[in-house]
Amino acid sequence: MTSFTITLANQGGAAFDVDHRKPLLQSLREHGVDLPYGCKYGGCITCAAKIISGKVDQKAQRALNNRQINNGYIILCVARPMSDCTLEVGVESHDKLYRNPFLDPLAAHELKADIATPLEAKK
Amino acid sequence: MTNHCCGPGYASPAEAMTAPREKLLYTIAIYTGTGIQKPDYLCTIDVDPESSTYSQVISRLQMPGIGDELHHSGWNACSSCHGDASMERKYLIVPGVRSSNLHIIDCGTDPRSPTLFKVIDGAEIKARTNLSAPHTVHCLGSDIIVSMLGDAQGNAPGGYLQLSKEFEVVGRWENSMGSIKFGYDFWYQPRHNVMVSSEWAAPNTFMPGFDLEEVGHLKYGREIHFWDFEKKEPKQTFYLGEDGLIPLEVRFHHNPDSSHGFVGAALSANIIHWWKDAAGDWQWEKIVDVGNEPHPEWPIPIPGVISVILLSMDDRHLYLCNWLHGDIRQYDISDPHNAKLTGQVWMGGLLGRAPEVNGVKVTGGPQMIQLSLDGKRLYVTTSLFSTWDNQFYPEIRTNGGCMLMVNCDTENGGMEIDPLFVVDFGKEPNGPSRCHETRYPGGDCTSDIWV
Repeated sequence: MTSFTITLANQGGAAFDVDHRKPLLQSLREHGVDLPYGCKYGGCITCAAKIISGKVDQKAQRALNNRQINNGYIILCVARPMSDCTLEVGVESHDKLYRNPFLDPLAAHELKADIATPLEAKK
Repeated sequence: MTNHCCGPGYASPAEAMTAPREKLLYTIAIYTGTGIQKPDYLCTIDVDPESSTYSQVISRLQMPGIGDELHHSGWNACSSCHGDASMERKYLIVPGVRSSNLHIIDCGTDPRSPTLFKVIDGAEIKARTNLSAPHTVHCLGSDIIVSMLGDAQGNAPGGYLQLSKEFEVVGRWENSMGSIKFGYDFWYQPRHNVMVSSEWAAPNTFMPGFDLEEVGHLKYGREIHFWDFEKKEPKQTFYLGEDGLIPLEVRFHHNPDSSHGFVGAALSANIIHWWKDAAGDWQWEKIVDVGNEPHPEWPIPIPGVISVILLSMDDRHLYLCNWLHGDIRQYDISDPHNAKLTGQVWMGGLLGRAPEVNGVKVTGGPQMIQLSLDGKRLYVTTSLFSTWDNQFYPEIRTNGGCMLMVNCDTENGGMEIDPLFVVDFGKEPNGPSRCHETRYPGGDCTSDIWV
């Protein structure tokens, strides 16, 4: 198996080796990390974490809009690591996850992927 | 008088109104989305004014795991089984919207300290029915059906899960979803062979929070559906348009002969009324339109966001909550075409009219409500849904939710917050939690349906 090291920046830099084929939520919980979660199918955002460095495959997630993705959020229940990663986990990482939708609207390119209008290439 | 020779509930709405006063409430409280790594739980609250523990949580039943997001609940039996002496209103079915787990809770053996009887695993429900995100639970005689808002991947429209009275998964209840786009709440009126269902959104849309722009992209509902109840398939759809954005709680008159019903359109902040006309055709109209309110710091006026409506057992009063404004309103709907505002109270909300009530800072706004059978006491909780709470009322993470009681004048109209009753969920033993739907052991104004 290919394994990667996942470092949890807001849990004292604790580091765990994980199987690249498994979702991060499952791997980290098997290591005894106590993490929030809900639906376990990538749709509900409860398990969102912030990626500080590294790369994951989270094609299966349906919860995040493009602004949240641009702010570094990943959905641990479906995200699989593609490299060593450093994460912030739990609600302490959710400072930019929630916004008042009336005060802070999304631009067309910041919507969820299925309805977003891509940004035109800058000239 | 309750007829003890028969099954659960009451022979009629009028008989239900003469039942003894409620002494206990069952209210769900959540830690999902709060940062506290504890299971959601069912609270038992003492509402007997003669008791030394009045207005306190007297027991807490934790669910087996974290992350369920308990939300609504329903009894295994109601007045629809009144004629069946083999049935008993004993078990509360408490779904987890996010986990899809169904918790079957025994409230009958010791009503003051309910116990977990059975869990139907969300994974089993998904595997056997391709459904997820359970919401409303109604019993139908001896069967139980649950609106499920998504398929197993969280896409709309989902469908309806049928359980047997032994809490086994029977399968899908409906024969067809027709062209229905979304699911949410439902209520049935068997004497008119009709069920009406409403629309929130796909779980993958509403669970992560509210992106207002998705309303314009038609990711949220704006239709209600009239079903052929016996054929278990939708028969007619009303497109409510801008008047009916996000139609949520569905309430028929309790009178089983009546065809009148109501739905609260959350984002439009309207009440929609329907009825069957003399020709036997269903009609609809808007009877209440809550205006948007200006806010000094907002670029646009705030919509009320009617998160719930409820009818008194005598079908005379309609109550609604404007979760963002912070008011509860009482309307006299004796003439259901002409709703008359007869009462209003404020608690919490974004307009700042009543930031503190009975010594507790109210974080959130009036949200779920439950009315006593006699129509005189309205119990109110303040949390809507963890992710939406986090967007509109982020301080709820540290303050928790609360429950208040409103005394309702059933003769002349009018409402007043009871000065002696408050349950502060900010002071729960495991940390601030958030309270949502409430039920009473003896049935309530949103459980019982007469066949």
